[in-house]
Amino acid sequence: MMYDEPRFLPGGDCFIEIEFGDELNLELNFKAQELGHAIVEHNIKGVMECMPSFSASLVHYDSDVISYNDLKTELSRLLKSVSTTDEVELDSRLIYMPAVYLDPWSSAAIDQYLEKINPDKERDPEFVAKLNNLEDAQQLVRVHSGTEYWVAALGFWPGTPFMMPLDPRCRLFAPKYNPPRTFTHKGTIGMGGGATAIYPVDGPGGYQIFARTPVPIWDMQQRLKPFKEAPYLLRPTDRLKFVHITLEEFAEIERKCEEGTYEMNVVGYQKISLASYRAWVKTLDPNARF
Amino acid sequence: MLEVIKPGLETSIQDWPGRFAYLRFGFPWSGPMDSWSFRLANVLVGNPPGEAGLECQFIGPTLKFQRDGVIAVTGAEMQPKLDGTPIPMWESVAVRAGQTLEMTFAKLGARAYIAIAGGIRNEVFFGSRSTFHKGGIGGMGGHAIKAGQTLPIGDGKGVAGRRVKADARPPIRTDKRWDVDVCAGPNDDWIDAAGQERFLTTDWKLSSKSDRSGFRLDGPEWSFTEKAYNKRPEHGSIPSNIVDHGYPVGAINLAGQTPIILVNDAPDGGGFINPYTVPQCGFWKLGQSKPGEIYRFQLLTVEEAQQRAREIKAICTEQSIE
Repeated sequence: MMYDEPRFLPGGDCFIEIEFGDELNLELNFKAQELGHAIVEHNIKGVMECMPSFSASLVHYDSDVISYNDLKTELSRLLKSVSTTDEVELDSRLIYMPAVYLDPWSSAAIDQYLEKINPDKERDPEFVAKLNNLEDAQQLVRVHSGTEYWVAALGFWPGTPFMMPLDPRCRLFAPKYNPPRTFTHKGTIGMGGGATAIYPVDGPGGYQIFARTPVPIWDMQQRLKPFKEAPYLLRPTDRLKFVHITLEEFAEIERKCEEGTYEMNVVGYQKISLASYRAWVKTLDPNARF
Repeated sequence: MLEVIKPGLETSIQDWPGRFAYLRFGFPWSGPMDSWSFRLANVLVGNPPGEAGLECQFIGPTLKFQRDGVIAVTGAEMQPKLDGTPIPMWESVAVRAGQTLEMTFAKLGARAYIAIAGGIRNEVFFGSRSTFHKGGIGGMGGHAIKAGQTLPIGDGKGVAGRRVKADARPPIRTDKRWDVDVCAGPNDDWIDAAGQERFLTTDWKLSSKSDRSGFRLDGPEWSFTEKAYNKRPEHGSIPSNIVDHGYPVGAINLAGQTPIILVNDAPDGGGFINPYTVPQCGFWKLGQSKPGEIYRFQLLTVEEAQQRAREIKAICTEQSIE
């Protein structure tokens, strides 16, 4: 839900966290994005940076310039004055990401976990399917790939997206690994809580995993065109759609990405507004599944 | 220019305050863990306090100077020697082309800092020269320094024989026990009264599984308020799970039952609560403590922590030099 009033929480001597609510919904993330824009627009003194997340914003400030209490007052005033989010239209790129679902790499990482850490852990695709009352892993694939994902924020690691499904028929929940996995391949797609993410590099991880993309989201060599300005692909307010590919296509795209010749499908003319999104959601049966 | 003969355990180029305005893209701040010692090293050699220098962890490097200059070593006691002769720490020292600086293990403290007049002039990446070596970012080629590398040095006019007053140096503990400052929040209301009491009255041991990306603490179990159990499924199923959010630098992040202090190279977002945060004035203590040492947390208000940071900032200036 969205709180009646945003909650201000201190984080040490130079951070303040503003919580707008406690769920994944587009409106809450719009609030978090808007606060960042409004701080820049109104030139709030002493604010070094605003980092949005799903339903909160983390503000880094300089206490030599503004005190905690003054900043709190400024931010609440600012939040009251920003236009109601319904009218706001945000530019939103749509990025098509090729992906192999139920891929051999995730499967191998799960095998390794079962063997070395927890033999009783249910395999991720079947586990997530069961938890969400789906028939089987195949339906999980249909449901997970049936929606556009909203890039609500970047964080945890440079360029790593925190994403939520925009289509309510594709909402899924899953707990995180406990204890975490020690190895995950770069490009692995997984979910935890209600969020979906892509692993930017090889490393440990806690999400339930069941797919992999050959397209990098982090590349220090900046080989592909959309990486021209920064070593990361995604930005908050992007949308991302997974497109099924075969293992043969995976190998081919991976090779082209390494060569720098892969042509990414990034659609750049669209906008998203809360009003039109809400109107569309209203037409859907919230209990329907693909 | 400065040639790396031996790199030490993990010596990295850092500047202060680091890569500090890119959290929203997922970059950690990086920078020196003990910025008190770091800044004073720079002040000694006539650099701005934030100029890029070296952070040496546990075992220091061996470096050969390729031109005359002035250096200063501060922080942990790593017994610096110039061509075999011990040189004082906390004091600017003249070096000549061809001379070798050799440092060994940290006898007291954990991290030493080397500043060179003119500063290290590696490439600036996203606003900083600091190394985030787990991310392969900044520094020289994204990593800690390596044997055989040559580090570019800027032009500087240092003066030898300048010293940091004794009372302006961070008081590194000799008894392996640290009173570490914390502020309550952002998520202290997820911990019940008994858990909060336990946090502040327990001896926490710094785990050996600690590095610049996180300081893990060994100690008792945590207990939670109703909020941690009675919550929407987006939060995740274990009590310390919360909808993924941004992490303040210094947050004490509760991953399951294990508290991890999110230090300079730590992740800046994720799905766990942060009941407490170590403010900037407490960071030098983290930087100078070794795995196995004991932390007791002392609660400061936000205003007290800010005042303390101001005091340290005033110390890291010319006023502390004699």
